[in-house]
Amino acid sequence: MMSVAGSISPLVAGLWLLNIVLDTGGQLAFKAAAGDEAAGDGLARWKHMASRPWLWLGVASYVVEFLVWIAFLSLIPLSEGVLLGSINIVAIMVAGRFLFGEKLTRLRVAGILLVTLGVVIVGVGG
Amino acid sequence: MKRFYLFGFLLLMGFDTLAQISFKYAGTQALPVAASIEWVLRVFGQPWVYGAVIGYVGAFFTWMALLKHAPIGPAFAASHLEVVSVMLLSIWLFEEHLNTARVLGAIAIIAGIVCLGMAESREHVPEPAEA
Repeated sequence: MMSVAGSISPLVAGLWLLNIVLDTGGQLAFKAAAGDEAAGDGLARWKHMASRPWLWLGVASYVVEFLVWIAFLSLIPLSEGVLLGSINIVAIMVAGRFLFGEKLTRLRVAGILLVTLGVVIVGVGG
Repeated sequence: MKRFYLFGFLLLMGFDTLAQISFKYAGTQALPVAASIEWVLRVFGQPWVYGAVIGYVGAFFTWMALLKHAPIGPAFAASHLEVVSVMLLSIWLFEEHLNTARVLGAIAIIAGIVCLGMAESREHVPEPAEA
């Protein structure tokens, strides 16, 4: 874990982490719902998805994330908040790599490292 | 067709920007933050939260339309580059100041997003145009 210094209080850091978990969890849940090969097509597919928990887990994650993000942004400057929120791009790609075996090409690794570096700079320096 | 994509990318950025600005206004008006039903009621009791909903829904449908037609790499980048417009608008609307850390951090993040967009472009070679 990196230590978060500067203007970021424990509450802000906690909301930031919760946002990452909910955003990544929500996207993975939608991926699991949409990628179910037993689901069929058209209306049957939607019925199948609605009868299983993944779709609803995704929706619930997004609803809670909506509130968490509002709370987060109300406590820090917006320009800082949107930059810190960019870490979600990294989290979802890393999760995709581990859970779905998605490829991390060199260009993707470079992108992930640059975004992470930027978030660390903003987090430490405000 | 290029002009259509460009319009789509700008529309996507516009909706995302509207959402973030609305989130900030909604959150500020609902202060102080508390894990309570009162706070949730304060959030939904003022109009800005619905600006955020409109921004999200608009961005979702624009994104779906873009994915059907536009190249994925630039679409990916456009869907995340609202950090630039949001930062610039927050100087004006919320009288925020850009310090060195935010500018340097933003440059690294934007460079990273461009790399990720290029990575998407390489992996998804566009199909031959239908029309």
